[in-house]
Amino acid sequence: MSYLPLYFKLVGAGVRAQLQYRFAFFMRIIGLITAYAGMAATMWVMLYRFDALGGWTFYEMLFLLALAVVSWGCCITVFFHFKSLDTYIVNGTFDRFLVRPIHPFFHFMSMKFDIGAVGQFIFSIVVFLWVSMAIDIDWSVWKVLFLLSTIIGGVLIQGGMLVIISALAFWTTKSEQFYWVAMYPARNLTNYPLVIYPKLVQMITAFIVPFGFVNYFPSTVILGKETPYFPDFVGFLSPLVGVVFFLLAYWLWMSGLSRYKSTGS
Amino acid sequence: MPIIEVNNINKDFMVAKRETGFLGSVRSLFKREFIKKEAVKDISFSIEKGEMVGYIGPNGAGKSTTIKMLTGILVPSSGTIKVNGIVPYEQRQKNASNIGVVFGQRTQLWWDLPTIESFELLKEIYQVSDARYKQNMEIYQEILGLDEFLNTPVRQLSLGQRMRADIAASLLHDPPILFLDEPTIGLDVVAKEKMRTFIQEINRERKVTVILTTHDMEDIEKLCNRMVLIDHGQKVYDGDISAVKERFGKIRTLVVDVENGEATFDIVGAEVVKREANRVWLQFNRDEISASELIGRITQTHSIKDLTVEEPAIESIISRIYQEGFEEKLVSV
Ligand SMILES: Nc1ncnc2c1ncn2[C@@H]1O[C@H](COP(=O)(O)OP(=O)(O)OP(=O)(O)O)[C@@H](O)[C@H]1O
Ligand SMILES: [Mg+2]
Repeated sequence: MSYLPLYFKLVGAGVRAQLQYRFAFFMRIIGLITAYAGMAATMWVMLYRFDALGGWTFYEMLFLLALAVVSWGCCITVFFHFKSLDTYIVNGTFDRFLVRPIHPFFHFMSMKFDIGAVGQFIFSIVVFLWVSMAIDIDWSVWKVLFLLSTIIGGVLIQGGMLVIISALAFWTTKSEQFYWVAMYPARNLTNYPLVIYPKLVQMITAFIVPFGFVNYFPSTVILGKETPYFPDFVGFLSPLVGVVFFLLAYWLWMSGLSRYKSTGS
Repeated sequence: MPIIEVNNINKDFMVAKRETGFLGSVRSLFKREFIKKEAVKDISFSIEKGEMVGYIGPNGAGKSTTIKMLTGILVPSSGTIKVNGIVPYEQRQKNASNIGVVFGQRTQLWWDLPTIESFELLKEIYQVSDARYKQNMEIYQEILGLDEFLNTPVRQLSLGQRMRADIAASLLHDPPILFLDEPTIGLDVVAKEKMRTFIQEINRERKVTVILTTHDMEDIEKLCNRMVLIDHGQKVYDGDISAVKERFGKIRTLVVDVENGEATFDIVGAEVVKREANRVWLQFNRDEISASELIGRITQTHSIKDLTVEEPAIESIISRIYQEGFEEKLVSV
């Protein structure tokens, strides 16, 4: 069976379901844009006094933020509901994914498609354009391709993290909580250049929770910045890291699922 | 050859002492205390194509756990299962296209979407051909009266409507086997009746093999020829239903609210078993006196403010079976 057309059909249903709650939908988009604009404003205020933070100027930091926001936007569109797997397990609705003749990971993934992320896209496109003009980034074809592959890598890294958090529900019946306690703060770290953090934190975001590859390392390539402690090519590794990390997450999720099949909870 | 074969299956759950709070969940990742819970113990049975089997037992007996093993959701701790020649937990996806499943307690439909959309999505998931889909939808619409709510979102359906939609959905792909876990739970009398007629029809017309669990003896009486009775995970009876019905299905209880709770009832075939304020419980044997006769007799001398007829609960049948040593005489192993 070909999963791609089926994915669009299932996802289409998810979108129509989401649009049943129009008010909540629009409020969320507005809320997100406002929140990110607020974050950008904070950066501006901070850098108004210091000119640069860890060698990063206001516009460079905006670029960093926009890159994080755009790949997070894509990521939550496809994967955000993974963090709520615990609810499905606890109220028993997860079983339905196991009595259907399609792959359960695929089925679960296609349950939702969060178009509310357009807020993220609007914000990041505006910022990319603004920054490109302000600091004259010259967008060659290669740079654009590099940016796109980086975004894909970032989506896979963050999506992988959501899948890992989701998988924890198979062992603990909790996942949403792990998202708010672990992933949410870790992700927020990456809104600023990692160079401002202690070496240990930088190592963790490179090798353990590889959020550094979502925006920081690739941005250093585009903006031509130094990466202390890391070789120069590190910024090119995002897609590779993304694929490996996501496969690892998928494997963990499937192991969790086979555990679920013997425990039922 | 039997369509379902179950040999000596066991299902043990290791129940963790759950910790509370977030730190508790973190801790429970590393270290937990377990208690072994034997939900299903050494159960075997085989079911022929076209049979309709009632799988019953009190709360916590292991009915849903068995169904989950048959559908491939759970892996048995030991023992073997074959459903239509397939081991469900090894080839779960393949098994899924051979079976229809309804869990009465929760819907399989898309909660926020008009009901018709769930059918359309399931058509894609199960790869039902256009022709087959159209044909099946017509039949189900007619018998189950789906038209009246096809455009209503599932979350706005009444329980009865939702259950009808759910069972139709489980049969879209013409599965030869249907598992129904409490398909009549929470339905009113009319809705129950509709549901039963439908189940009967698809069993008769399409030779669909049906296993259903229920707490309503009437479902069993009206639908099944055979029942498998389990208690505490073990099979206590497997066989003809008429024998059980004969013996236990006849005793009913009429609960009446009268003006005077002290009132006496002198009616042959009925006896007062309980009183509470102005409410009186009268047990009667259906063979000796019908409910309507009994009510008629009571109204001659008392004015009834309210009444209900209680069926013998499955739990009470099981406890009677224990008390009266039913199994020795009837278990056909
Ligand atoms: N995932 C699980 N983890 C631990 N124990 C479980 C799990 N699922 C079921 N049990 C236990 O196994 C036993 C059998 O449960 P099951 O749901 O099969 O009962 P049932 O016969 O369907 O009952 P009911 O009539 O109430 O639906 C119960 O004691 C239940 O608490
Ligand atoms: Mg049950």
